[in-house]
Amino acid sequence: MRFTIEQRPEPSAVMRVVAPVAAIALTLVVGAGLFAALGHNPVAMLDAFFIAPLNSLNGLSELLLKASPLILIACGLAVGFRANVWNIGAEGQLIMGAIAATGVGLFYPNPDSVLLLPLMFLAGMAAGMAWAAIPAFLRARMNTSEILVTLMLTYVATLFLSWLVHGPWRDPAGFNYPQTAMLPPYALFAPFDDAYRVNHSVFITAVAVVVMWIFTDRSFLGYKMAVAGAAPLAARYAGFRESAAIWIGLLAGGAAAGVAGMAEAAGPLGQLSPNVSPGYGFAAIIVAFVGRLNAFGIVLAGLLMSLLFLGGETVQVSLGLPSALTRVFQGVLLFFLLAADFFIFYRIRRVGGQN
Amino acid sequence: MIKTTRRQFLKYGAVGAAIGATGFPSILRAAEPLKIGQVNASPAAEIGWAKQHALGIDAIKAEFGDKVAVTVIDNIFMPQDAERVFRELASAGNKLIFGTSFSLGTPMQKVAPRFPKVAFEHCSGIVHLPNLGTFEAKYYEGAYVAGAAAGYMSKAGKIGFVGGFPIPDIVGPANAILLGAQSVNPKATCNVVFLNSWYDPGKEKEAALALLSQGCDVVCGMTDTGTCVQVAGEKGAWSIGYASDLAKFAPEFHLTAFMMDWTSDYVRAAKGVADGTWKSEERWDGLKAGVVKLAPFNKKIPAEAQAKLVQLEADIGSGKVHPYAGEIKDQDGKVRVPAGAMLSDKDIRATNWLVAGMSGKLA
Amino acid sequence: MIPRLELRNICKRYPGVVANDDVSLSILPGEIHAVLGENGAGKSTLMKIIYGAVQADSGEILCDGNPIHSHNPAVSRALGIEMVYQHFALFESVSVVENIALSVTTPFNLAALSRKVLELSQRYGMPIDPARLVHNLSVGERQRVEILRCLLQNPKLLILDEPTSVLTPQAVLRLFDTLRQLAAEGCSILYISHKLDEVQTLCDTATVFRNGRVTGTARPKQTTATELARMMVGSKLPEMHVSPPVPAEKPMLEIRGLSAAATDIYGVDLADISFDVFGGEIVGIAGVSGNGQAELVSLLSGERLHPQSNAIRIGGIASGHLDADGRRRAGIAFVPEERLGRGAVPAHSLIENGLLTGHRLGSVRHGMVDRKRAADFSRDIVEKFKVKTNGVRAKAQSLSGGNLQKFIVGREIALQPKLLLVSQPTWGVDVGAAAFIRQTLVDLSRAGAAVLIVSEELDELFEICDRLLVICNGRLSKSLIRTQTDREEVGLLMTGLDGSVVANGGDSLALHD
Repeated sequence: MRFTIEQRPEPSAVMRVVAPVAAIALTLVVGAGLFAALGHNPVAMLDAFFIAPLNSLNGLSELLLKASPLILIACGLAVGFRANVWNIGAEGQLIMGAIAATGVGLFYPNPDSVLLLPLMFLAGMAAGMAWAAIPAFLRARMNTSEILVTLMLTYVATLFLSWLVHGPWRDPAGFNYPQTAMLPPYALFAPFDDAYRVNHSVFITAVAVVVMWIFTDRSFLGYKMAVAGAAPLAARYAGFRESAAIWIGLLAGGAAAGVAGMAEAAGPLGQLSPNVSPGYGFAAIIVAFVGRLNAFGIVLAGLLMSLLFLGGETVQVSLGLPSALTRVFQGVLLFFLLAADFFIFYRIRRVGGQN
Repeated sequence: MIKTTRRQFLKYGAVGAAIGATGFPSILRAAEPLKIGQVNASPAAEIGWAKQHALGIDAIKAEFGDKVAVTVIDNIFMPQDAERVFRELASAGNKLIFGTSFSLGTPMQKVAPRFPKVAFEHCSGIVHLPNLGTFEAKYYEGAYVAGAAAGYMSKAGKIGFVGGFPIPDIVGPANAILLGAQSVNPKATCNVVFLNSWYDPGKEKEAALALLSQGCDVVCGMTDTGTCVQVAGEKGAWSIGYASDLAKFAPEFHLTAFMMDWTSDYVRAAKGVADGTWKSEERWDGLKAGVVKLAPFNKKIPAEAQAKLVQLEADIGSGKVHPYAGEIKDQDGKVRVPAGAMLSDKDIRATNWLVAGMSGKLA
Repeated sequence: MIPRLELRNICKRYPGVVANDDVSLSILPGEIHAVLGENGAGKSTLMKIIYGAVQADSGEILCDGNPIHSHNPAVSRALGIEMVYQHFALFESVSVVENIALSVTTPFNLAALSRKVLELSQRYGMPIDPARLVHNLSVGERQRVEILRCLLQNPKLLILDEPTSVLTPQAVLRLFDTLRQLAAEGCSILYISHKLDEVQTLCDTATVFRNGRVTGTARPKQTTATELARMMVGSKLPEMHVSPPVPAEKPMLEIRGLSAAATDIYGVDLADISFDVFGGEIVGIAGVSGNGQAELVSLLSGERLHPQSNAIRIGGIASGHLDADGRRRAGIAFVPEERLGRGAVPAHSLIENGLLTGHRLGSVRHGMVDRKRAADFSRDIVEKFKVKTNGVRAKAQSLSGGNLQKFIVGREIALQPKLLLVSQPTWGVDVGAAAFIRQTLVDLSRAGAAVLIVSEELDELFEICDRLLVICNGRLSKSLIRTQTDREEVGLLMTGLDGSVVANGGDSLALHD
């Protein structure tokens, strides 16, 4: 008896629903086994991982705070990914957005202006877009691989940030440590409640999700991008401009990442140091794909990724597990999610008879 | 629950004793173990910065036994995450929380005011609040002695220095190493390289090899690895260890190491919280207090030189010798410390210049 | 005699479709056996089952009397079963001989293999340079590679899926000679086609399919075309009604001195092409594939721009600089040769594919897609053009070639073009659908539109065109009135043998002697 993998003639509608559920169920089983084998109470572990982080207002606040930039960036990236425009340098665009926004926040002549935050928003978005415009220009004009250019520009952005905080933007009162002064109060997003960290920047993400959904699912421009992604020759046949897809795809990702960078600087960070992003720009790529490049899916994927992260911390705090083990568990879930996805498009069947 | 175990019985016995000794407020503290948290930016390690802080926690456990419950969270590099972790630890009832990296400072400053009853201790911090204290070591004292050892042993008079980041905590000791070497050999020079990473053995190895090929015959790495010591040993060059005793990486060539011993800071803070006397301090200790120590000198250092090094160590401890005594010029020849003066503590903590004889840039 | 291949009660089900329902047939050694049927009748699926590319849900396959277990293409090749797909399975970026080498399992030397390929290609009248890169080959040339690849294996059973649709009449005859020669050598041939005359000329036996079932077997040489067609379609084929053209006074399309360098090294340069197409008539461009049709079509459709705007005038307006969208606005509609990936997005639904060019008909407002209108638009096409599908939400790739072609033709006609440009209107399309599409084109022209057809099928051109032009080596012949010319004259022009142009080596060799 042999088995073979074959493509389904049509993606399975049943598996679309079953796959994520099965993935989570398998993760729970494997995770429980893993924890039990290491001598921990699996129920307590899973509770700490998935339930405890959501059990308090503070937990929900932290979940939103963490998920918000991931979802925001993933929405922007997905616009490009759907058109086969591979911006994997959102991390760099985020850094440039954070730099530009912080620059406005620190050096705007009137720090008590209510215009400060909107100006920072615009600066962050413009900087992210400008950073993404470089690969867009090169791809549209010279057919340069945007994958390489966006990735390499991330390193440029990181080093530029490092230079700024070690040099010209270093806090004069900061013992020469590489960080800027704290942003003035008007340059910060107000939290909903002083007790929690989540702030009004989540509205930006909410708007971005809706805009992204309308763009990809309802707008004609989004439709053209989808055609460019699925069949470039058909796009040319229809007279849709390829360069438009490249520009829109990259600028959408750049704008989202730049705004996310601004929201980090004006939110949980409040200043710049050599490290402004915990890899949001890269994690958002996973979020975009786990969310199947679809607005609703991205929201779920972003929340899930954040929950995994927070759960990993809770497990460390409450049960004293090493961080390595929590990462293994996070990996198991992603593995099952992507593996289960495979069965939407493929199936395994037995071939041959009894021999 | 009616059944009382032996352990509980002993605990209640201890409570009774505590009531007798210190009065009522101690009851609660004694009944529940004192919860202590530690947040580290890097992962746990066998040597280096993380290990020295783990030893601090070990010292608390040794001192207090099961009267304390310690939670250690590793790998919290990003400020965004750190703030949440500090909040969680504080909300979970930890009464004393250590943050062991400079990068954790801003989050601690944000969290501390929300939990006024919790004591925060920030290693290498610069900002103090009523419930946020800092502790730091005078690395430069140990580095100066280690530099003198290099001055005795280096034939070329060229020292190679690999730093994690060009921050004052690293730039200062680098200067001190060269000043120590120059106290023995006035012509000594030093080449510096910064990795912009605490842990990148590949890059560090390349840097060490480059320094050796530039003619350096003593190498020191202020990172979280033993790479510099190991690479130098393989090439038959001397080395200076940092943070922990790194002799095991090259027993033949490890001259000494300037180490931090935070145990006194940890135990002192824990005691203070346990008996209600903790207050926000700004501790900055060196050889005298034993926060900075030197690893055993390499046996190949001649006895005469070893004696002078031991004397130097004692003189710095007693204040007779100050590593940053003038005249000190910087790379560009500008006098930073005039003759007869000493660099102020504040300026030492904010060092962002390299002394004369240094090659390399702060970038 | 033991059949070379025997199928017993084969069933195959896809979600929503029964592709094969209780199919049995047998082929004797040396027999040329036709499988006749409309697209979507299940012929292609059955062939894939025989070849082992797809597994049957139930039923048995016997080769030389032995049941085949664990069927897959490797097993087939070991048994001497070879298949030429309708959609070719070639790697575009490597050469002809390298593609062929991929299916050679014994040790070989590439130079020797090249010689062997060259020798086979000449022997069977399908000349091709083994060193050429596949992505530069025309459809017809690619098919030759596929056939040569099979012949190299000395097959015992050769399956051909719609093999003649891209060959010139002379080349078809050569292919038939080849196939007869193979059959005489003992090779069985399974010949999938919808061309009744070919089946009648070539095949000993025919199994006729309809809706996944066998509707009959026949000896085609002793059966009338009408009878065969009735078995296939289930009713009588509609007869073509071609009324005399009523050309408009002014040309809708004027091409003047159009020259263009090829975009790749194996392409064909277009040299000084001039012609007109008037409203109310159908003009056909005949030619062997790879003689400049692809270049000409992309210049006319606007997928490629031309620096001399005046060389292409649509409705009197210089249009060379307009892109595909601009040309459509000027009144052109276009049905390309490649249905999947160019004329339609394979993974998109029919609704979305309707939008591809139909968006200009009111289903996009203020930059937003009106999904109800878009669905109505596609539903209209499906109904009017009798497209067989699971509904307008079905993906384009789930439709058979003929049905997708009807959809694309319907969509382009819905644009109410002043000029319809159609490339290979019925390539790989079954008789029923082909007749329908041709009649539609005739009706469109008689309603006043100009229709330009680029096709490699002479029968089709002679059936519906009012005037014919022949393209050879990037040059266009004089205009021929259909009623005043014949296949021989056109065939000569296709080879460039009338002396007007110099023949281009590889392609015209097929037509010599």
